[in-house]
Amino acid sequence: MLRRMRNDRLLVAIAVVVGVVLIVIAAIYWAEPAQSLPSFFPGHESGSSHHHVKHGIAAFLVGLACFAFAWFRTGPKRPSPT
Amino acid sequence: MILASLISYPRAIVLGLLQGVSELFPVSSLGHTVILPGLLGWNIHQNAPYFLSFLVATHFATAIVLFLFFRRDWVRILEGIGRSLRDRGIDPADADAKLGWLLVVGTIPAGILGLLLQDTLRKAFASPRTAAAFLIANGALLYGAELLRRRAPQAADDDDTRIARQVSWRDATIIGTAQSLALIPGFSRSGASMGGSLLVGLSHKDAARFAFLLATPLIGAAALLKLPQLFGHDGDGVRGQALVASLCSAATAYLAVRFLMRFFETQTLVPFAVYCALAGLGATIYFAVS
Repeated sequence: MLRRMRNDRLLVAIAVVVGVVLIVIAAIYWAEPAQSLPSFFPGHESGSSHHHVKHGIAAFLVGLACFAFAWFRTGPKRPSPT
Repeated sequence: MILASLISYPRAIVLGLLQGVSELFPVSSLGHTVILPGLLGWNIHQNAPYFLSFLVATHFATAIVLFLFFRRDWVRILEGIGRSLRDRGIDPADADAKLGWLLVVGTIPAGILGLLLQDTLRKAFASPRTAAAFLIANGALLYGAELLRRRAPQAADDDDTRIARQVSWRDATIIGTAQSLALIPGFSRSGASMGGSLLVGLSHKDAARFAFLLATPLIGAAALLKLPQLFGHDGDGVRGQALVASLCSAATAYLAVRFLMRFFETQTLVPFAVYCALAGLGATIYFAVS
């Protein structure tokens, strides 16, 4: 029981951290052109002034999904349906 | 502007009517939009910005029709999602909330893959010959789904309750991911999601309902994202044609969704599988000899 609670908290913490990171990544995609993105980012391209808006949207949506997961995971426990 | 003039109003009407029907029938709208101009000898550049902007308008019209057709369901689903967020949990008895989150879970993989791969796949496979070959594969996929479908007991009376009980989170992820096949011209979005839904035990009627609900936000969001192109340089010379095609697309999409919801009460995917196989084969032979 105690171990399960710890696992739950760990999962929630991971989801929140990943969510924050993804939203920051989304902001970087929206703000920076392809040439200014860190080289390990998908879409990085030297000399390109193109903004990867879609990559940003994808990162933002997955970030939101992580927050939604954490939100539900920390909600009141419900009895399982019979 | 010279290229844009290649979409005449009669062609726009044909493409609009075709888009409305083929987007919802499990026969690949993108495949038909690529194959038909090839068959008719229309010199349309499939990857040209003006043609993509034109297509976006017809997709947007289809999404609006789908949303309006299921508008009462969407109101209940959105209320269900709101209740679950407020309560920080999904009540097992709240079918609307469960269905709403199933749609969210199913939309995420398809949305992400679409955002990241749409342009690449379209450029790679947008030739009529390739689309015809994939149309045959789409027929095989539909037929395979019929052969392998799981017949689960359908106890609940309400459509949404049946779907919410039958589809698990994992199932919704798989069905959502399967939709991404539609990024390849020749594969059908509704066909892939209906096939996936049949495999997890939904009836044909419920599978069609789930597929249309799942498709609405994706088609709408994809169109909304690209709609500004239509009002920019890419839309020069095709805005009027796009408007006419959108109206045609909306009309046929409405008739198609009405027809299909009744059709799948009693029928299966087999007729569409046969059509895709024959149409793909016919087009392949035509392109090979012409």
